[in-house]
Amino acid sequence: MNQLPENTWGILLVFTNIVLFMGLAPFFDGIVRRVTARVQSRQGPPLTQSYFDVLKLLGKQNIDSVGILPFRMAPLVALASILVVIAILPVAGKATALTGYADTLSLIYLLTLGGVAVLVGAFASKNIYALIGASREMTTMIMVEPILFMILMLGVLKTGSLDLTTVIYGTPTVNYGWAGVVMVIVALFGLQAFVARQPFDIAEAEQEILGGPFIEYSGPNYALFKLYLMLKQMFYAYLPIAMFVPLLKSGSFIVDLAMQMVLTAVVFLLIGLLSATHPRFRIDQALKYFAGLFVVALAAIAGALFG
Amino acid sequence: MRKELEAKLKAQLQDDVVCVEKSDERTIFVDVKRESVREASKIVTKSGARYLNSIGYDNISRDGTLGMIHAFAYDNNNQFVCVRTSAPESDPVMDSITPDLPSAGWSEREVYDLLGIKFAGHPKPKKLVLADDWPDGIYPLRKEVPHDLVPQGAEDVAYQLDEAPPGTKIVPVGPFHPSLHEPEHFAVYVDGETIKGCDYRGFMTHRGIEKLCQTQVSYNEVPFIAERICGICGSVHATAYSQCVESAAGLIIPRRAEYIRTLMLEIERIHSNLLWLGVAGHLIGFDTVFMQAWRVREQIMWLCERLTGNRKTYGMILVGGVRRDITPDIADDIRNVVKKVEEELMVIHRAIEKDSSIHKRTKGVGTITRDQAIEWNLIGPVARARGVDIDARRDHPYAAYDDMKFEVPVLDSCDVWATLVIRVIETFEAIKIIRQCLDKMPAGEIFVELKDNIPPLRHAISVVEAPRGESVHYVITGEENRPERWRVRAPTFQNLQAVPAMLLDEQFADFPIIMGSIDPCFSCTDRVAVIDLQSGKSSSVTKAELERLSRKTQERA
Repeated sequence: MNQLPENTWGILLVFTNIVLFMGLAPFFDGIVRRVTARVQSRQGPPLTQSYFDVLKLLGKQNIDSVGILPFRMAPLVALASILVVIAILPVAGKATALTGYADTLSLIYLLTLGGVAVLVGAFASKNIYALIGASREMTTMIMVEPILFMILMLGVLKTGSLDLTTVIYGTPTVNYGWAGVVMVIVALFGLQAFVARQPFDIAEAEQEILGGPFIEYSGPNYALFKLYLMLKQMFYAYLPIAMFVPLLKSGSFIVDLAMQMVLTAVVFLLIGLLSATHPRFRIDQALKYFAGLFVVALAAIAGALFG
Repeated sequence: MRKELEAKLKAQLQDDVVCVEKSDERTIFVDVKRESVREASKIVTKSGARYLNSIGYDNISRDGTLGMIHAFAYDNNNQFVCVRTSAPESDPVMDSITPDLPSAGWSEREVYDLLGIKFAGHPKPKKLVLADDWPDGIYPLRKEVPHDLVPQGAEDVAYQLDEAPPGTKIVPVGPFHPSLHEPEHFAVYVDGETIKGCDYRGFMTHRGIEKLCQTQVSYNEVPFIAERICGICGSVHATAYSQCVESAAGLIIPRRAEYIRTLMLEIERIHSNLLWLGVAGHLIGFDTVFMQAWRVREQIMWLCERLTGNRKTYGMILVGGVRRDITPDIADDIRNVVKKVEEELMVIHRAIEKDSSIHKRTKGVGTITRDQAIEWNLIGPVARARGVDIDARRDHPYAAYDDMKFEVPVLDSCDVWATLVIRVIETFEAIKIIRQCLDKMPAGEIFVELKDNIPPLRHAISVVEAPRGESVHYVITGEENRPERWRVRAPTFQNLQAVPAMLLDEQFADFPIIMGSIDPCFSCTDRVAVIDLQSGKSSSVTKAELERLSRKTQERA
């Protein structure tokens, strides 16, 4: 009899997570847009603009420009994969009903699946700009995913467990040692790449390849991709907060959560500032940057292992 | 100068040289038989002249020939040389000079398209200006073709692109692409992300402004049409045209008018350089530079509106002078605005100067050597960024530039970064020139009327340094109070031809900024009317009001 309410609580948390992320991601996107605008001496759109963008796209005609299944499926798979990531995420230290069925590795797989869906959509588009965008996206993924993996790996090494809740919340910050400090820096320097913002919006590069992988998408299909991108962005902004900033432990779930969200908003402020003050890198320049980051992250892992 | 050149030409070409004459202090005309046109061009180039432009004209009604002029400039002693020749209508063939001077390629292709002169030995005798479905045998610039001829279109005719190098993919850029601001088409051949070649098909918006002005309007109306050739450097074209006509008519305009022309040209330079700086920022994905540069530029636009009634397309330049005087009040206004612009630009300049990420995207990008730049005849900031020290304001002074003290920045890193630095420095120099103009401006008239008819068939050439390079105008005076031939060569016409060389082996991601670095003005190149559609602002509406209104409209929508 005890298990039923616990499970209900867990199932409720799955929905809370999804509602929370779906509800806040466009708002955080709005923050980035507003910050960028202010840096550029513009007034900028209202903070709610990104909600309207998605809604408007959802209401438009769905143009299937190539007429093959992978093209239509790609946005659905991308959105579904990120939603599952969110569903298994122990937000504010509370595992959901699904967290137990997944571990750190499946989290990484699911994130990669979303990226692969974007690639499939791009290749299905049969558009040269989409192809260039896809090849850039692929190169970026190959370089950036391992860095993310190593950030999570640090938690795995410190806790000796693959369980998500343990990995993310299990290590008190002090126990991370210098390797943890290095990893926080890696996470910060990789932030723009994780969220694909300037200087790393290379795959979309509007001025060269007109949105790259998404060029053939419009209407609801594009809305799904937009939503996917915003959710992914929020996940990547939230992850370092969850991992490296200790929970408030106020005893109230709501207060802990609110604190984390405020901090996530701060991360988005940072994203906005960084993207407004950088030009876009070329892919070859970005690769050098990632390679450097990769080596540093590897050193931190080594430090955690033997240090 | 004339005697030396004449001696050289006579020694090598003997009887093929028909005549060498000097029309005014700075223009030498060399008439040669068509067999020797390539030789004569070689001799002139060897004697240190820089190729400017080629002009074809229809002379069939007079002596049954088609005329061809190759214009050159001696930058060291302010002289122009025009090598003239002609070919009979029945056999309109002459040697191409493109094998010696690659930058003449487009001029000759244009002359073939519009007048039907064939150039033997041209390396790429493809269509340049005319539409792909334009019928053969109709040459629009010939006199018998009416200005409003609309030939029957044809289906299934397309431009044949150059063959792509093996192992490359074609990335089509344009006719509509965010890094081009006007309709033009580039086929970029890429291997992975590396550019291996490029073909260009432009002139999609050619409206035949030259033909219009040669058949429909009179001398005094052309400046306003000339101004509409370009949405950015309108005064440049109006000034260059007016100077041609004044030179042909022997008209001396008041000194004050020359000062006001200089003033307008420099104000235009500030606005154009800031516009370009913003666009360059946008093209490397740095929109903050874009927004800030355009915010600073906006003050210049408002200033021009107060000065002339228009943000752009000032309508200030007339044949014989200028239309509006500069009152002391306006002079103060200009001083205040340029001071503010100077301060704000300094802030941007300092920010850009040390920004390592901008360096990353611009240093070593779009590199061609100084020798290539000379070979391709680059002009303006693009040339000066590659160590070629030319500036028409200093080398061929016009308007009041002989009274002005200014630096001509020249850098030798041969890349986009150097171009950027040069254009920023030139903006500061423009501000210096504006201050000198206002301080030294003499009193007097601003306009002198053209009273007598201009004798027909006089030739005149004039160059004006536009913000993006020198514009060359050539006028042959006509009998009906309008030019018999008016040829405009905008700076992009020259610089664009060298872009494939700049793009070679660069990354595709750098395509927008390399393309953008020459500040391409396709409308100038096409000679089309581009009009700023940003008017509609009535004087009874204040700025705040307008802002409120526009926000309100958006809320409703």
